[in-house]
Amino acid sequence: MTVDVQYYVLLSMAVFCIGLFGVLTRRNALLFLMSVELMLNAANINLIAFSFYHGNLTGQLFALFTMALAAAEVAVGLGIILVLYRNFRDIDVTVPTTMRW
Amino acid sequence: MAVFQLPEWAALAPALILAGTALVLFLFDSINPRSTNRPLLAGTAVAGSLASLAVAVWFTAAGVGATGIENYGVVDVMNGQFIVDRLALYFMIIISIVTALVAVASYDYLRDHTYQAEYYSLVVLAATGMSMIAASNSLVTIFIALELTSLPSYALVAILKDNRGSVEAGLKYFLIGALSSAIFVYGISLVYGATGSLQLEAIAANLGAAGEMGGLLGLGILMLVGGVAFKTASVPFHFWAPEAYEGAPAPISAFLSSASKAAGFVLAFRVFTTAFPLEATTAVIGVDWTVAFVILAIVTMTLGNFAAATQENVKRMLAYSSIGHAGYVLIGLAALSTEAGDLVMGAAMMHLLVYGFMNTGAFLFVALAEYWGVGPTFADYNGLSKQAPFASAAMAVFMFSLAGVPPFGGFWSKYLLYTETVNAAADNTVLLVLAAALVVNSALSLYYYSRLVKALWIEEPILDRDRLTQPTGLYAAIIAAAVMTVVILPAFDPIATAALEAAAAVVG
Repeated sequence: MTVDVQYYVLLSMAVFCIGLFGVLTRRNALLFLMSVELMLNAANINLIAFSFYHGNLTGQLFALFTMALAAAEVAVGLGIILVLYRNFRDIDVTVPTTMRW
Repeated sequence: MAVFQLPEWAALAPALILAGTALVLFLFDSINPRSTNRPLLAGTAVAGSLASLAVAVWFTAAGVGATGIENYGVVDVMNGQFIVDRLALYFMIIISIVTALVAVASYDYLRDHTYQAEYYSLVVLAATGMSMIAASNSLVTIFIALELTSLPSYALVAILKDNRGSVEAGLKYFLIGALSSAIFVYGISLVYGATGSLQLEAIAANLGAAGEMGGLLGLGILMLVGGVAFKTASVPFHFWAPEAYEGAPAPISAFLSSASKAAGFVLAFRVFTTAFPLEATTAVIGVDWTVAFVILAIVTMTLGNFAAATQENVKRMLAYSSIGHAGYVLIGLAALSTEAGDLVMGAAMMHLLVYGFMNTGAFLFVALAEYWGVGPTFADYNGLSKQAPFASAAMAVFMFSLAGVPPFGGFWSKYLLYTETVNAAADNTVLLVLAAALVVNSALSLYYYSRLVKALWIEEPILDRDRLTQPTGLYAAIIAAAVMTVVILPAFDPIATAALEAAAAVVG
């Protein structure tokens, strides 16, 4: 039994929107990072589902690259959050306001 | 033809040289992370970027990417994943010039920084990513190169770890960057879903097969526009720019606002012309995507210039002005719906090259002021010309060139952009609005640029300063940028030819 491709797209859009909602509402930098991860993984669901749908491996291969890059992005992000904590004693993204928006 | 044949991958040499330089700097860093041998480290970075520049110029002169029997033609690397044509080489030249200027200026600016080697290797790694973007011909390689540019940039903005401004800027740049790259990769996945391929020519070939997935394709293209807007600091993803540029070390602000912006534009130029040819895409998604760029161009240039006019902080003023200039260059994409679209795009590329000199120079002057301990506002810059006439004269050149006052380079590129847009408006009268917005905004920009020149040359200093030192590296970089901004006038013809060839490589 195979699932039609449109259900995968619906699933990925739901995951993407949950991630986007988290990005817009969360003030904790770590939760922000997790929300971005959800958005990236939504793209991975799409890539793999469409790879199966089109019958070529390009999408699966790209999903592997995306995962590696997401990990690298988290590494840099955690480093920045660490220096943020050292300087402001907080990881709330609304606290640093030395420059006005 | 050459006596011996280089392998195909050698065409990527400008990017590969930068990658090699970054690895050499990593090697220095792993041997002695606290090395303060600044001449060696900065020298390696400068030598690497100049070598990359030399090879890119040599390839351009030797005819790589040019048609004709005596030339090499467009070089296709790794089955079309990378492509080396006039467009790629043109942008590799811009990027390596800016990298060299920034590395020279960092020699003085970062004199007290503890970890020198990691700074230079991150700069050169980011430059490698930008060069790779210029040559990328598939959404996979584009995304990887984009991340190779972004990740070192986040770290570079936050590199002054004990400086609250720098950390805050790094955080904001990272948050918005991570969000926009997630949106970008989701857009890629939708485009893949509709067309079944990620290589740009293959996407264009399969557009017709998208059929009922036209809606997904349209949404995907919109998300790609979002990713481009972040990289070029255009509306609606522009608001990181003033924060990141203000808080970052000034040479990094110069690097991001010139080289990173150029990389974002070459990405947009290649993706939207190669993968989404206008008629075929309009037939599938039912909307002409140049309309999006017309709106973005007008909003970006207006918002950037009006916000710049209200700033008291010099670095923030330059940040908003760089948003305004992104709006001018977006005209190159907005005009693609017309017959003369390639000429407008060529003029936009020309502007990016001139901008690479004048904007980098302006930010490096701010770096020099920070090096002296001068405060951030216009009033703090009062009367600097008495102590530093050469640097202040160079800054006046940058300011008038950015505003588009003759006879500097910025005037000629803006003039070309204006006349080509007006010519192209014969096909599409909307472009007249763009041309008008360009003129009005340039006139407005003269106000805040000349305000800084007035502060430097006419106003009396608020408080007495000690004698100012003359750091060699910063001075050399600023004077070089100023000389190039002026020298572009006699050298206008070859540069314009190169820019038009670069545009012709992807359009028509």
